[in-house]
Amino acid sequence: MSSLLKTEWLKIKKYPAFWWMTGIVALAYPGMNYAIYENGYKDTLNDKTMGPILRMLPNPFTFPDVWQTVAFISSFFIFIPSIVVIMFITNEYTFKTHRQNIIDGWSRKNFMISKMIDVAIISLLATVLYFVTALIIGSSNSTNTSGNFWEGSQYVGLFFLQIFSQLSIALLIALLTRRAFIALGIFIFYFFPSEPILVQLGKRFANDAGEFLPLEISDRLIPRPRFMVRHEADWKALVAQSDIHIVYTILLLGLTWGICFWINSKRDL
Amino acid sequence: MGSVLTVDGITKFYGRIRALNNVSFEVPQGSVFGILGPNGSGKTTLLSIVLDVLKSNNGNFLWFGHPGSPEQRKKIGSLLETPNFYHYLSAVDNLKVTQSISGRGTREDIDQVLKKVKLYERRKSRFKTYSLGMKQRLAIAASLLGDPKVLVLDEPTNGLDPVGIAEIRELIVGLKKSGHTIIMASHLLDEVEKVCTHVAILKTGDVITTGDVNEVLQDEDVIEVSAADLSALAHALQPLSDQVSINNVSNTVQLSLPKGTAKLDQINKLCFDKGIVLNHLLLKKKRLEARFFELTNS
Repeated sequence: MSSLLKTEWLKIKKYPAFWWMTGIVALAYPGMNYAIYENGYKDTLNDKTMGPILRMLPNPFTFPDVWQTVAFISSFFIFIPSIVVIMFITNEYTFKTHRQNIIDGWSRKNFMISKMIDVAIISLLATVLYFVTALIIGSSNSTNTSGNFWEGSQYVGLFFLQIFSQLSIALLIALLTRRAFIALGIFIFYFFPSEPILVQLGKRFANDAGEFLPLEISDRLIPRPRFMVRHEADWKALVAQSDIHIVYTILLLGLTWGICFWINSKRDL
Repeated sequence: MGSVLTVDGITKFYGRIRALNNVSFEVPQGSVFGILGPNGSGKTTLLSIVLDVLKSNNGNFLWFGHPGSPEQRKKIGSLLETPNFYHYLSAVDNLKVTQSISGRGTREDIDQVLKKVKLYERRKSRFKTYSLGMKQRLAIAASLLGDPKVLVLDEPTNGLDPVGIAEIRELIVGLKKSGHTIIMASHLLDEVEKVCTHVAILKTGDVITTGDVNEVLQDEDVIEVSAADLSALAHALQPLSDQVSINNVSNTVQLSLPKGTAKLDQINKLCFDKGIVLNHLLLKKKRLEARFFELTNS
């Protein structure tokens, strides 16, 4: 495993798109959270109907709520690291380096594990960027963090699980299509707007069956922050869903990677 | 002498197209084994199967007497079809990836093989900035990394200039002398003829002949003789063969005999007894090119 990790790091560390992605995410996470804080939250405080309710709730950009708030907002930007995942795997097919890896002595299983390592590295990096963003925003807004700093930090793990799951689906699409632009087109078109529309249609016509769509399964790991939901009961229902969606997400991850390993073991390279 | 590679009844279909049909042969240890065939004959498909890039529909292969495995591939230096490298990495970084996967060679070995293929000066340039010939040289360097005892080279001289081709030929000859086994697919018959000890000739997926290169090339003895009077010489040789002809370009008479039956001393004596003094007598090996066309066009 350490040999696979070392090899993948040799490939990643000089891949320009990886560092571009890191830079963009490093700017996008705090930028988007700041924009929502300034324009979404603070503006709502002045809203005649929602304002009085929000003032009774804790500030979502302070500890412990900041973990959930920043995780939810940052999860909109999963398509940025998904571009790198797709580029990275389709590059292997475009330049036939996937073949060379096998010729040089990897098994097909090794190759797939190495791709899982790539997805894990990128997910971990995005999670670290989310963690730092939440930490800075929370620290700068909270007055006293000694008692409830880590409360709610389970969202760090859930954020990693969500991004790992969704990037795994991006990798599966790339593995199936082997073409960067086709894979990017399919993933981004499905990420937005196709699945959100299907989820809304599911809510309206199919008893919320959209919760089992591939991205929505892990989207529901991190419920909307309280200030984004009008009714308390609706918000509690969303939070209650989160636990069972951990199980669903793990099952989906198993299925996604099972398909990846199976395809890679069977087809010609 | 054991076999490095045994191919047994390999068949491969691409949809309805049969790319290989029951292909079998053995590669002796220490040989330079040429796999020849026109475009589309299945050379690269065959090498892809023995390197586990493609799956055969039938048949099997053994490396060193054992079924193919990643551990065995690590010990084999391979160049398959095209140079496959990370376009954003330099030559050194690409070879580090090769080294990390295969476990072959050291950091110093990377510099050595780059010097050997004359890429050392450009070792820090990105792969995408290389010319086709330089890319090919890097692929050869990767296959040489760690001095593997077996090399699989698919069209190794692709994209190289005449000097580069000569260098690769010398390299292969040198590797053979030091006991390496080289399996080489090529359509450059001149190259194969110069370096190979054994060949297998493929035609539309079938092995039409395989064996020692001299045996494959020489299906008959061709003797070239010359004297002052070519007509008299041709007449004198008629009793030996029904295939006697005068070549007015080279001013020689050529006669063909069944393989292994030509006895030059007897021909010389026969002519002398008939009062003809020879000024030229040569047993010719048939050129691979001619033999190849005979086999693949039949």
